[in-house]
Amino acid sequence: MSDQTAATPAVDVGSLTFDEALVELQRTVAELEQGGLALERSIELYERGVALHEHCAGLLGQAELRVQRLLEHAAGQLTAVEARSEEEAD
Amino acid sequence: MSRGGPPQNEPLWGDFPDDVAAVTDGSKPPDWALPSWDSIPAEETAPSRRPNAAPARLPDAARAPAKDAAPAAIEPRADTARPALHAPVGGFEMRIFQVSEITRAVRDAIRADAGLRDVWVEGEVGRVTVSSAGHAYFTLKDERSQLACVFFRDDRLSSPFEPRTGLRVVVHGRVDLFESQGVYQLYVTAIQPAGFGDLALRFEALKAKLAAEGLFDTARKRSLPDRPAVIGVATSATGAVWHDICHVVARRWPVARLLLSPCQVQGEGSAASVVTALDRLARWGEKCRAEGRPEDAPAVVILARGGGSLEDLWSFNDERVVRAVVAHPVPVVCGVGHEVDVTLADFAADVRAPTPSAAAELVVPDRTEILVVLGELSRRAGGYTGRTLAGARSELAAEGRALDRLRPSAQLAQARERAGYLLDRATRAIRSEIGRRADAEGRLAARMRPVLVAQLAARHVAMERSGASLAALGPQATLDRGYAIVRRRSDGSIVRAPAEAPPGEHLTVRVAQGEVAATVDAGPATGRVPAKKRPA
Repeated sequence: MSDQTAATPAVDVGSLTFDEALVELQRTVAELEQGGLALERSIELYERGVALHEHCAGLLGQAELRVQRLLEHAAGQLTAVEARSEEEAD
Repeated sequence: MSRGGPPQNEPLWGDFPDDVAAVTDGSKPPDWALPSWDSIPAEETAPSRRPNAAPARLPDAARAPAKDAAPAAIEPRADTARPALHAPVGGFEMRIFQVSEITRAVRDAIRADAGLRDVWVEGEVGRVTVSSAGHAYFTLKDERSQLACVFFRDDRLSSPFEPRTGLRVVVHGRVDLFESQGVYQLYVTAIQPAGFGDLALRFEALKAKLAAEGLFDTARKRSLPDRPAVIGVATSATGAVWHDICHVVARRWPVARLLLSPCQVQGEGSAASVVTALDRLARWGEKCRAEGRPEDAPAVVILARGGGSLEDLWSFNDERVVRAVVAHPVPVVCGVGHEVDVTLADFAADVRAPTPSAAAELVVPDRTEILVVLGELSRRAGGYTGRTLAGARSELAAEGRALDRLRPSAQLAQARERAGYLLDRATRAIRSEIGRRADAEGRLAARMRPVLVAQLAARHVAMERSGASLAALGPQATLDRGYAIVRRRSDGSIVRAPAEAPPGEHLTVRVAQGEVAATVDAGPATGRVPAKKRPA
């Protein structure tokens, strides 16, 4: 856990997926609650937690469902193409 | 109905044999199907116009007093004013019948047969015509014969099953003769698909076989991922099911991505199509993992189809489909038909959903629930200032504008810092920390407003105390718990190491109730700094 938490602040919160952000938020909260941290570290963690929370809530609030369609080509190759218009046309 | 070949241009009656062919090629409805007796044109109702029945004879024969002519028929009637041209010469016991007599005789013969009054007949439906009055006319065929059938409007509309060309059906009804056209028909009262019982038997047999293999065991059911990023969907690309699934996931969990693997969900070849669609999703998942982007692989698969008849859903009872569901690399949720429809694919699935929409609801969480979880996490992240922060949060949630109120103040604090207005660095550090927290909380609160509406109502009163609560955000809570902030009086810096407080150093110790001045009276003996306090 310690190596993960030490590494996480380097990652930009905005680039995390919802799940990654949520998992890190849970970990951050657990670490904060564990106590025994320097004041600076706990503030750092708290701010990180707030940013993670905001990111999660933002993703949930603003996310638009992505819809893809799996296409199979002649040689059995597969590709996923965006298919949003199809969903709306229905 | 057996008649010789009539002239080709004969309408109605004479056409019948040709129309028998027409039934199969579908170009033209059979004669009895065209006019129902509620719409028969007047000129076609008279059987006497039948030209192939020796037209030269007919008018005379028709005039013959045939109705009660049994005794008179013994001898040719010489006294007849206009003897029949073709009266049988010396025809003992010969008489000439009217068409309606024959028709009636046949009718009576049919009606006399009790066995024909209540029959079940199985056959394949040929051409179906529905008249403007709503009656359905169709043929039932087998390899050798066909049978004209009439399905009256009321029976037809109350029937759950419609005759459709090509279907094998079992019909119930009575055989009777329609006099004005001289056709015998089956008057259908009920119709149902043939082999219904067969299907049920096959279903049970296959179910027992697959269950014996352990394919339906609860032990092998996999649990669904909590928050799948990619959801594979095997269903028809057209139609309401796909749309419904998109709608449900967009509403509940728009963070996810749906990946449609289109397939045919009914009719010939649909079972193979479903298997292919599942296989495609499995291969796609493999490909994603092989290319080092496992997050693009489906974490769960929905297999769905809308409601339909037993036949429509039959491909989901196919052994190949069952095996494909069981062998699928990720959990499969099956939502086929309506709640009452249970297919073998449902048994095989890791989770059975009553409908396609329900399947979609099962695979994704509801974002409002997750927002509550998030709110709880952020509350805990408040740590030792948790209580005060929670109070501030709900108050701030009441006012989205709190954010704007707080932002300028945070900026102001920075400006003050730059101008060097605050001399005590330790105090400043703590104050700006608090400023940042309050700011972050404000933004947090604005996000969480929808979730906290209920709490809001309860805490509306607390809003009035907003200012007071914010003031409480200082380090006071920490100090209350017995902590102290020790600073060097000379430069105001916080003492973190014994070396920073040599003997003789003057210190300021801030505790909950105020400050005390202290002087270090000895060097670090045991790593700790004994401090001699004196009243401030």
